[in-house]
Amino acid sequence: MRAVLTLAHLVILEMVRRKDIYVLFVLTALLTLIAAAANIFDDTRVVRYLKEISLTLIWVSGLVLAVTSAARQIPAEREARTLFTMLAKPVSRWQFIAGKFLGCWLACGLALLVFYAFFGAVALSRERSLDLASWAQAISMHWFMLAVPVALALAGSLLWAAPSSNSTLTLVACFGIWLLGRHLHKVALGLPEPGATLLTLVYFTIPHLELFDIRDLIIHRWPPVPWVFWLGALLYAAAYAGMILTGAWLLFRRRPLN
Amino acid sequence: MPHTAIVILFLTSLALVTSLEPWFQSWQGNRAQSADLLAVLLGDARRAFANHFFIKADAYFHSGYYPSIFDNRAAFQTPHMAADAGALEEKNTGEEDDFLGPPRDWIDAFGRKFKPATHTHLDQGGAQTDASSHKEIELGESQDVREILPWLRASAALDPQKVEIYTTTAYWLRQRIGKTTEAEAFLRDGLRANPDSHEILFELGRIADEHRKDPARARNLWELALAKWQKFELQKKDPDTFSLLQIASHLALLAERESRWDECLHFLGLWKAASPKPDEIEKRITEVRQKIPAANHAKPPAPNPKP
Amino acid sequence: MVQSHFSQFGPQGCHMARSFAMPGTHRPCSPSLPRSAPLPSGGGSPLLPMTEVIQIEQLVVTYRDAETRATRTAVDRVTFTVRTGEVFGFLGPNGAGKTSTMNVLLGFTHAAGGSARIFGVDVRQPISRQRIGYLPEMTYYYKFLTAEELLRAYGRIFGLDDGEIRRRTDELLALVELEPARRRLIRTYSKGMQQRLGLAQALLNQPDLLILDEPTSGLDPLGRMKVREIILRQKAAGKTVFFSSHELGEVESVCDRVAILHRGELKALGPVAEIKRPDDGNLEQAFLRLIGWPDAPKPASGAGQADHRPTAP
Repeated sequence: MRAVLTLAHLVILEMVRRKDIYVLFVLTALLTLIAAAANIFDDTRVVRYLKEISLTLIWVSGLVLAVTSAARQIPAEREARTLFTMLAKPVSRWQFIAGKFLGCWLACGLALLVFYAFFGAVALSRERSLDLASWAQAISMHWFMLAVPVALALAGSLLWAAPSSNSTLTLVACFGIWLLGRHLHKVALGLPEPGATLLTLVYFTIPHLELFDIRDLIIHRWPPVPWVFWLGALLYAAAYAGMILTGAWLLFRRRPLN
Repeated sequence: MPHTAIVILFLTSLALVTSLEPWFQSWQGNRAQSADLLAVLLGDARRAFANHFFIKADAYFHSGYYPSIFDNRAAFQTPHMAADAGALEEKNTGEEDDFLGPPRDWIDAFGRKFKPATHTHLDQGGAQTDASSHKEIELGESQDVREILPWLRASAALDPQKVEIYTTTAYWLRQRIGKTTEAEAFLRDGLRANPDSHEILFELGRIADEHRKDPARARNLWELALAKWQKFELQKKDPDTFSLLQIASHLALLAERESRWDECLHFLGLWKAASPKPDEIEKRITEVRQKIPAANHAKPPAPNPKP
Repeated sequence: MVQSHFSQFGPQGCHMARSFAMPGTHRPCSPSLPRSAPLPSGGGSPLLPMTEVIQIEQLVVTYRDAETRATRTAVDRVTFTVRTGEVFGFLGPNGAGKTSTMNVLLGFTHAAGGSARIFGVDVRQPISRQRIGYLPEMTYYYKFLTAEELLRAYGRIFGLDDGEIRRRTDELLALVELEPARRRLIRTYSKGMQQRLGLAQALLNQPDLLILDEPTSGLDPLGRMKVREIILRQKAAGKTVFFSSHELGEVESVCDRVAILHRGELKALGPVAEIKRPDDGNLEQAFLRLIGWPDAPKPASGAGQADHRPTAP
């Protein structure tokens, strides 16, 4: 466990020192502030569009950060040959994968805290109140959701050598699931066979990332999700991330390193 | 030394730019057709974005409980915010509370827990509608409808020729948020982009009548709207009878208020021709005739909306 | 020659002359189990006697050619052992299978056949690396870390407590003369500094087995001397050193035994003196003869035989 935590710590340090997170945060903040500067018929109390823009940028930034950082981990270590020095220590391949995953995921969590703090400030500046339960649910569900793209990108880095192709494929898959995942079964109904069966199979196989998107609830101030369903969603994400990481370990454990 | 060179270079560039700019603006080879950045960037795709933002405003009107393109949209063919504003004739059918239908599988059922699940309107409180006590918020109590304005504004910026954006926005601005001046200014922007729009003229007339308390101005605007309608709509295969109905009804009611009976009857005739319930309008005509003094009790000529 | 010089230090070299003492290594040397973590229970062979640090038996390593998809045998049924307290040289021309063998020992590659053990533990188990220190040929470390942070991270992986990590970090950075740069990012280090850092991280856990992959490659004479010094210190402390090198002169001067690989096969194994024939002037001659080099140069008679005995410190 110590090895896993040490590896995770190294990943977080690298991400903080690479400044990826800062660039994305500055971009998000800048675009949100530009949107906030728009004159909406001299009404300063309009806030939901701002929340939507902010949350959408946070979602996009979070996905990009998760996928690009995870996709880079193993190829970068292999290229820099730090992988060999590390695995020459009493570190198993499973610990290595777990440490990389944990580091990327925790780093995403830290980034989300900063992003959502900014979002909270934006919302508070106009609404004068913040539903803390919904806000906490949004952060936690977003964070757990990101475990899946991180695991996917890590597994993908063992299949595709180039981080750019891995990142692109993983991002396309994640964005596709986010935007269209919940509608696939409806589309399948209108397709002829074997397309309908294939699409239905895809629908039931993919991790439904859109489940974790509760932006509408936050933006329009709906009551929080019932806590039992919130917990179910977190477990769903954990299960998928676990399955994907296990697959990544199976790919990695027998792979010769050079 | 390098800093001096940079400063000299900068000043020279600035001087060149300021001296060349007037020439460039007058240059016939100048291909910039629009000063609108969005129009330049997006081209014709801006209309698609404008429509998307218009629908987005309706989604906001429903606090996020809105059908996607994959769901049953029969009850949302006309955006509710536009129909409620009288900007568009409502063509909605079916059940607006249940466009999703029953859950198809456990993922669908589970996923609905994380989305808005109740049909509400922002002007009636939106997500804060107190469903447990069944208290209905009176129209006008909730000003949360302001939240649809940014999307309407963006939609208008992208497609200034989309008239219903201006009329919808103006209605909510003046009727719910109390920003009559802003509504009027916005309608004038729309009129500049659409000088022959009877809808915008009609809406300006409503502001004049209901908010400025200037019936003379309102009548001028509505008569101009009617003239525009007659000039442009009659040429179409399917003229916009809903708009005629609105213009005629308001002119008729105004004339009735001002006891201009002949005009009132004339406009009631137009109203009856456009109304889906002509019997109701006929009753009204009868009532008005009863109000007319005996000297003017002649039967009115048959209404003919054509010029 | 090397062994007789150090024979006063006992069969396993556990008693140290003060001048060879590594900081913090004043402890009785006795056969022991891995320090920090227990051996895996069940599923493995019984512990071998601690005189055999590395045991390789009928090792086979194969690779699939990326272009032709043909299977190539890099190591072909190699068998040898390395004993406690030995300095063992692992020699061979490029492509002989040295790196493949080391990769199996370090867990980078899996063997296609045979077995390899370190301290009696199968090399496929990460715990087998608990008591080893590894210095790669090319020193690459996390550029975004400082030397201090790197050693701390590795120390935690070895299971050392924070106090021990701090102490070892101070000692090692002083030893490799990186103390002034301990808080600078590694990306700002010169190549020499990175190599010295590599030595420090290899010695962090006071390894009982030091695996060095061409440790003097690219080093200046001063650097080579330092490395030689460290190898001899380790030996004097009763540790085992296993290294591959192309510097046959140095191998001849420090190694107790050598193994020579060629085309995946073990061509020779034993002390340098036994490998050399009377007509081999030096180890290089013997090496060329064993790998079948037809034009191995012959030394001039009676001249040019360098004295490779290590000088006393």
